[in-house]
Amino acid sequence: MRVLVIVPALNEAMSIASVIDSLRRNAPGCDVAVVDDGSTDGTAAIAASLDVVVLRSPINLGIGGAVQTGYLWARERGYDVAVQIDGDGQHEPRYIAVALALVERGEADLVVGSRFIEAGGFRSTALRRAGIRYLSWLLRLRCGARVTDPTSGFRVAGRRALELFADHYPSDYPEPESIAMAVRTGLRVREVAVRMRQREHGRSSINVLRTVYYLAKVSMALMLLPARARPAAAKDGVASS
Amino acid sequence: MRHPLVPLQLQLLAIGVLVAFISWVIHLIRHHRLSVRDSLLWLLSTIAALVATVFPISLQWIASALGIAVPSNAVFALAFVYVLLNLLASTITLSGNAARIRRIAQECTLLRAELDALRARVERGGGGCT
Repeated sequence: MRVLVIVPALNEAMSIASVIDSLRRNAPGCDVAVVDDGSTDGTAAIAASLDVVVLRSPINLGIGGAVQTGYLWARERGYDVAVQIDGDGQHEPRYIAVALALVERGEADLVVGSRFIEAGGFRSTALRRAGIRYLSWLLRLRCGARVTDPTSGFRVAGRRALELFADHYPSDYPEPESIAMAVRTGLRVREVAVRMRQREHGRSSINVLRTVYYLAKVSMALMLLPARARPAAAKDGVASS
Repeated sequence: MRHPLVPLQLQLLAIGVLVAFISWVIHLIRHHRLSVRDSLLWLLSTIAALVATVFPISLQWIASALGIAVPSNAVFALAFVYVLLNLLASTITLSGNAARIRRIAQECTLLRAELDALRARVERGGGGCT
């Protein structure tokens, strides 16, 4: 199976090299594509010097648009599986193998790395954990998805999920919504236990006010989900944007 | 006729303003700064306002039909709805454009990566298969 690791990065010049190095060691059979979402600190140049594919966006698209660029590349290049891992070093590539195995054995179409299945590692603030619990409750309520860490950006997408995400991917704060989309399209979503680290450099792009906006936006997206055109319908010849 | 609903002076001023607005919109269309599609709502609503200005009695009909005692309140209510509609229309356009820009930027990104790969291969003096 051909596997592409998509690494969305915005101004991660300090950590991108170690992330790529860790990927080389822990996921040696995988190709790597760094999606540079308009960095101004030379992230793209560092990645390019490490001999990985660099997808350089001319404008800042936000995490959703950046990640989707990776899925589009994966589809165009005919990859079977796309792994998604943050460029800030908080996800450890050593967990890729376990998640990948689930997809390769055909037991899941989308595997999400959850930091709440096993103890340990970085688990964010209490406020944010409460928000995450609420989102996972809402996801189960709206579409029966059973995920403990719906905001996780660590995921492995099989061919069907890859195709879905190349066609449709939510814009800002896309993770919970994309899980709902996958479940509603009939994909099997599973979770594996991972440990996450506190980001190595720089600050997280989320503060308190944004957390509130995040919850409101994602809640609305999840509530409105059923009224939107089902992504599966797009395959029946109806073009959708 | 009863006493005029609107003083003639005010009526002329309003007509003048609306005609100027319509000519401005038409000017924008003719100079390709506004598409006919996007201007339709503006033109229709401005023409309706013009009709109401020329025949103020029509406002009274509308007001009584809506059950509003004072015609001017009907004007405010309708004007508000009309502005809301126009705003929503432009927000819809904006959302559509944002989606298009995103798609185009992604396509640019993919093409650039493709170009990088090709250039690297040419500079290596290769040209063989991957």
